[in-house]
Amino acid sequence: MADQEPLRRGIQIGLIAFAILTYAILIGIPIRLGAAAFPVLSALVALFIFAMLRRPMKGYPADRPAISIIRQAVTAGLIAGALVAALIWLFTSLMADGVRLQPIFDKVVPQNIAALHNVSPGAIANGEVSWTSPLLQIGMMALAGLAGAGLVLLNRSQGADSLRARRIPGAKWIVIVLPFVLMLFVIWLGQPAATFGGAHKGTVRLLLAMITFGSGLFSLRQASQPRERIIVGVLLTAGALYMPFTLDQFQNSVMGLVFIFAMMGLGLNIVVGYAGLLDLGYVAFFAIGAYVYAFISAPFSSPFITQQLINLGIDPNTPLLGFWLAMPVTMAIACVSGALLGIPVLRMRGDYLAIVTLGFGEIIRLFMLNMAPLTNGPRGLLRIAPPAFGSFALGSPRYIFLLALLGAGLIAFAAYRLNDSRLGRAWTAMRDDEDVAQATGINLVRTKLLAFATGATFAGLAGQLYAARQVNIFPENFTLFVSIDALSIIIVGGLGSIPGVVLGALALKGLPEVLRGIDEYRIVAFAALLVIMMIVKPEGIMPAARRKRQLRRDDIPVEESPGPNPDSGAAASLEERSS
Amino acid sequence: MTSTTARLDSAASRRVRSPSLIKWGLGIVILALLSWRVITVGVAEGYPASFWVSQALNGLVLGGVYALVALGYTLVYGILFMINFAHGEIMMLGGIAGYFALQVFTAIGWMEGSAALVILGLLLIMTIGMATSVVTGVTLERLAYRPLRKAPRLVPLISAIGASLFIQYSVLLIFGVSPHVYRKPALLEGGFRVGQVFVSYTGLIIFITSILLMLALYQIIQRTKLGRAMRSVAEDKDTSALMGVNVDQVIVFTFILGSALAGAAGVMLGFHNTVVKFNSGFIPGIKAFTAAVLGGIGNIPGAMFGAMILGLIESIGPSALGIPTEYKDIIAFSMLVLILVFRPTGLFGEILSEKKA
Repeated sequence: MADQEPLRRGIQIGLIAFAILTYAILIGIPIRLGAAAFPVLSALVALFIFAMLRRPMKGYPADRPAISIIRQAVTAGLIAGALVAALIWLFTSLMADGVRLQPIFDKVVPQNIAALHNVSPGAIANGEVSWTSPLLQIGMMALAGLAGAGLVLLNRSQGADSLRARRIPGAKWIVIVLPFVLMLFVIWLGQPAATFGGAHKGTVRLLLAMITFGSGLFSLRQASQPRERIIVGVLLTAGALYMPFTLDQFQNSVMGLVFIFAMMGLGLNIVVGYAGLLDLGYVAFFAIGAYVYAFISAPFSSPFITQQLINLGIDPNTPLLGFWLAMPVTMAIACVSGALLGIPVLRMRGDYLAIVTLGFGEIIRLFMLNMAPLTNGPRGLLRIAPPAFGSFALGSPRYIFLLALLGAGLIAFAAYRLNDSRLGRAWTAMRDDEDVAQATGINLVRTKLLAFATGATFAGLAGQLYAARQVNIFPENFTLFVSIDALSIIIVGGLGSIPGVVLGALALKGLPEVLRGIDEYRIVAFAALLVIMMIVKPEGIMPAARRKRQLRRDDIPVEESPGPNPDSGAAASLEERSS
Repeated sequence: MTSTTARLDSAASRRVRSPSLIKWGLGIVILALLSWRVITVGVAEGYPASFWVSQALNGLVLGGVYALVALGYTLVYGILFMINFAHGEIMMLGGIAGYFALQVFTAIGWMEGSAALVILGLLLIMTIGMATSVVTGVTLERLAYRPLRKAPRLVPLISAIGASLFIQYSVLLIFGVSPHVYRKPALLEGGFRVGQVFVSYTGLIIFITSILLMLALYQIIQRTKLGRAMRSVAEDKDTSALMGVNVDQVIVFTFILGSALAGAAGVMLGFHNTVVKFNSGFIPGIKAFTAAVLGGIGNIPGAMFGAMILGLIESIGPSALGIPTEYKDIIAFSMLVLILVFRPTGLFGEILSEKKA
């Protein structure tokens, strides 16, 4: 029968939805949602079914009868509902019999299951859950299927891309003006009288501040004529620099961290995005910057340095150099260590490079952890001096944010200029094909070392600011995860794109802070997002024009380092057949 | 083919020539320093020979486990040219499943029963661990890697990093923070002595099992039809497709093989370290990848030897160089960097790796 295939697909979707629901129950999502748990999960299933059925099925016309889609979606909903209701009922009856499931599944507690039935946790233990509850759950999931089908039909009647295709007149100006409107709103929210957001006003304001920055980036991109660009750029800069003075301490501290990571991301973007050298140990230079500044400004924390200074007759209790004078020192040391790392890995490519840099990052961290005389081991370096102008200390979150903004701006400007320079073009050539680049007369050794050194310098600067922000630093601040964070920032934002990096930092370092309430789930959500992002939009949120072209060229497979004899045409047709 | 090889050869030598003298000079200096350190510190400590032998045996046991994981990296890399960053987590899930299986068998009393029952139980635990890892590995391939097969290198790597974090923290959320403690059956406690050297039963069993599994893998790859298909896909995906090899099926099979070995390693590492928790796959995973790179990634015997060498150096290194054992990770990574400086394609890597690296 011709109609079997859509039904089979419906069952498949139902099974996947059931797997997702099981996962959500096992990680304890219902506990957080409370009474709303099951309706929210149903809505999630409806959206999932919509996402799966949105595109026309292979081998079926795009306008197949509505009843076919409805039947398919409701089947999916029923399958998911029946299975999940059975699972919940299993947990319920086990708990009613006094079986404790928590030793195995940490989050399967009466509270969790009670939320799904919308009863009190006590009712679960006493076995007071009515048998109608599972039926209700199945019904809700079937409704979710219906809703999903409705969304599909609605979407279809509007035409697949009618929304995107229709140009709203003046859209450009709306995008350009939006950040300024948002900023005024953020400033107004700072008034004690403003009550928008109620108890969560501070969080809402932080979120809006981030959105303001994000929309500012889009606004800058929309301004096409040079004169417009300058005016918008100047206004946006003025607005951004005013931002620290309107936000409160917590908001400033989060924004400071976001922009420190933006600084780091911009540096890593040079190494990975421009030069194509996959560096998984970037945290090493960040750590070197932080530790060097800590040694300079708090020498008393390090037993070895204290001893040396006493031998030299210098008082170890005062900073050796101020923040500004220390800056060239940290940057120089980070730069040299970047070049030093570069030398051994000159001839490595791709994954070998990744694992060696990863090893280097770990070596640095393990040294910090184990060289107790110099680095004070896991106890860390304490009481690092804040930056100051004369006697005016700039240690509060407000000024750290301001400095991070300035630092990020400086690095972004340097990166922007570098990208268009002779060196930047050499990096691009090297990224696309090392052998061809060498053949056209590019000195690979010099180009690679400069990429590592430049990236490391900027990371060192970010590290110094980070040390000043944290006041106390420990080896745990510099794990592999910092490298992974930085790499994710530039990839989610858009490899090689400067505004993309800032946007990535806002999204990946800022949003989790806003979502403090669901702290436990943020890493899982972030990780899932990373995978989905790579599948759906691998070029990043705000891609560099060039890279977008490369990734979206569907007819030719794109490889970063093609082999000696790539016969792309045959490869493309074969890959298409095999996948 | 010959002209290609020749071209690669000349390209490689051109790149090597200029810093060659400095490099080998540096190599000799490092080697001299190391031997001087070993002679003046390690040997001068005056440990008896039995100490070194038992350290080496520990290293071999650890090396066997690393080898099983490293093989998974190398198999996948050989075919897809991607680092399966989540391979350590596949191993950890095997260990977690093995823990629950062990709990069940302990609860029904098999672990206190006769020797035959204990061995049957252990085999079943191993199988359950392997099956869990296989399911995870295949799912991962289907969801996170297959859609990205045509994408540039970095994209699947990021996806793999995401998958790795996702699995780790899902395990943390689902099974809780508290480590899962493997309790050995009484039969496996203790060991025997050969002269001055103590050999524990667990260590011996782990070593023998890993050797057996490696032999089985070697047989599969060399003797079976699927093994031949795997080798041909590793050589050239497109041409094998033209010859009638189902590339998708071979890739799935590769993930099955790699994950099964990782699952076995996870269970054995559970018995060796006695605890499994959400992040216990991470460091062994990185070590195993180091081992795979050490032996020349994509090269199966290379991964085995690389892992054995890594295990040996990790266990002997700290005492031989007279430095605290906390530095053993530094030794492992520094060795990796040094070997790659002098042999950029790994110890057993061929010139072929130039294309893949």
